[in-house]
Amino acid sequence: MSEQRYKLHWITAVIETLKTLKEAILPLVVLIFANGFKGGGTGLWYVDYLSFIIFGVLIISLFVSGIIKWKRFEYWFEDDELRIESGLFVKKKRYIPFDRIQSLDYTEGIFHRPFGLVKVKVETAGSSNAKQAEGELTAITKEAAKRVETEMAEAKKRQREMPVADGEMVSPIEEMPMEEELNFRKMFTMTSKDLLVLATTSGGVGVILSGVAIFLSQFGELLPFEWMFEEISAFIKFGVLIVAVAVFLGLLGVWILSVGMTLLSHYNFTVEMDEEDIVITRGLLEKKKVTVPLKRIQSVVVVENPVRKLFGYATVSIHSAGGGIGQSSKINLFPIVKRDRVLTYLEDVFPDLYLEEPANRLTAKGRPFYYRIDFLWMLPIIGALTYFFFPYGLFSLAIIPVIIALGIWQHRSAAYDITGSQLTFRFRGISLQTAYMKKKRIQSMEMKQSYFHRRKGVATVIANIKSGMGVFHASVHHMDVEDAERIFNWYEKGCSTIDE
Amino acid sequence: MRAQPANRISPKGLKVWRLYGWIQTIILALVAIGVGVLVYIFEWPWWIYPLEAAALLLFAYFIIILFPKVRWMRWRYEVRESEIELQHGLFIVKRTLIPMVRVQHVDTSQGPILRKYGLAEISISTAATVHTIPALIMAEADELRGRISVLARVAEDDV
Repeated sequence: MSEQRYKLHWITAVIETLKTLKEAILPLVVLIFANGFKGGGTGLWYVDYLSFIIFGVLIISLFVSGIIKWKRFEYWFEDDELRIESGLFVKKKRYIPFDRIQSLDYTEGIFHRPFGLVKVKVETAGSSNAKQAEGELTAITKEAAKRVETEMAEAKKRQREMPVADGEMVSPIEEMPMEEELNFRKMFTMTSKDLLVLATTSGGVGVILSGVAIFLSQFGELLPFEWMFEEISAFIKFGVLIVAVAVFLGLLGVWILSVGMTLLSHYNFTVEMDEEDIVITRGLLEKKKVTVPLKRIQSVVVVENPVRKLFGYATVSIHSAGGGIGQSSKINLFPIVKRDRVLTYLEDVFPDLYLEEPANRLTAKGRPFYYRIDFLWMLPIIGALTYFFFPYGLFSLAIIPVIIALGIWQHRSAAYDITGSQLTFRFRGISLQTAYMKKKRIQSMEMKQSYFHRRKGVATVIANIKSGMGVFHASVHHMDVEDAERIFNWYEKGCSTIDE
Repeated sequence: MRAQPANRISPKGLKVWRLYGWIQTIILALVAIGVGVLVYIFEWPWWIYPLEAAALLLFAYFIIILFPKVRWMRWRYEVRESEIELQHGLFIVKRTLIPMVRVQHVDTSQGPILRKYGLAEISISTAATVHTIPALIMAEADELRGRISVLARVAEDDV
């Protein structure tokens, strides 16, 4: 068994130092401003420059600690485990069995690039700490990363052989690794046009809103009710214009920033896959590579944001179980994709998914429930607005048709379908979401009925899907109770017999 | 219509909920008394007294008598070979289906009040969600925990 111990690349020391420095930057800045620019020397140079001395000592000590961290960090492979040892005073040892490793995620930051290095995050299923990966190799060469992979593949292979080795032939498994290399197929890349649409629409709603505000403030001059405002109108108009321009500029700034960040982070977005995993690569300055094991994908959701729909685009995200990605681990598989290509791409990646539009729409029975509650609690607000700002307050009445229209829209969008072992839910908040779920991925199912629901014979059905450490609730609200029960019965039946 | 789950929770659970109701009512009564003292000191209008009394009585009726009763009537559960079904809710009736295959582990726990009545609550965890059945008789809870964990172990785990 190879027990050679490996070290990280020396750039680790720099990265670690900068990381600590980033966290300490605020107190440092405060320190410098508090002490450094007092003006008027005391004559003693070391008092005048005290803060700079402290600053310098701190940076040096940070750098030293970075070097120590790098020097004391060792990893090696033994007994089919990845073993990591680190720490100067407190020795930390962490042994991660290869068969527990869910995925290795690679990141190439700006410091990694010139040396051909990568940061490797080792993800296991039961990460106790949602924020931190089980193991992190801050900077290793690409060959070293490859070595981890091959070591892992070999270990897994050995384990697969183990039970067979007793009596039967072992040979066919030998060929596996070769095949794996070849099987990596490119499933999806984002063209620069897609990238541009993604970036520009990611903050689109805000800009449109402020555009509308500007438009309205301009339009106000032309409207016939101008005379109502009398002399205050000029002032109000002036104020509104200024505010609208300021808001617009502010939003524009934020939007440009978000466009830039999206461009950088999603540059060269590529999805590849082999038999077992989907690999997503993206990023310009910081190159990220995330591996999602196919068998851990819990559900596939197609999200159609109205703004993007206008351009004929949709988003496909997946919910994956476990991993240290955080509370809910929703991964954008295709951040933006032409609506008419979604099905072809999805069929390619998930051949066993049934992707027809959900056929069962809701009946009229549940429709009022979609806007009733909002409507009821809006009434006192509208009343108050009307009372306190008498003539203008009446404009708040315009909320009512908007609420009702949104409700009806949501009702018309909602649909469900059962096909074999798959449940499809379609529902809308503002964006239309279509969730494709396999029966064996639904952790539990709920049916809710209020008193009014029972009288009208409707119910809400919620399917709970594991997503990271948390839950993704896919729900169709206010459907016929018979339909709800049909879904319930489908879920109940044959749950013990796994799939199909 | 789907049949309701067969089992009810222990009638003692009703007593425990009523006890919680009493505790909340007493706390509220203390607040009301405080307000009453203020009314007396600052000579606020007299009708605050009857208003307070009425509100307190109404609250007591809801929280001690009505809500626990409705809640208890609604609370039903059933543990079958391949799934667990729960039904509960005061205003909104919620029915939950948890397949045995999905059960990760089962816990029982009891606080001081539950222990006094010889009760325990049982929590069933799936990979994503936790479901609790409150107020089961101790022996029953233990038996149920054992049964669920046996049934869940038979079913193959596949997250």
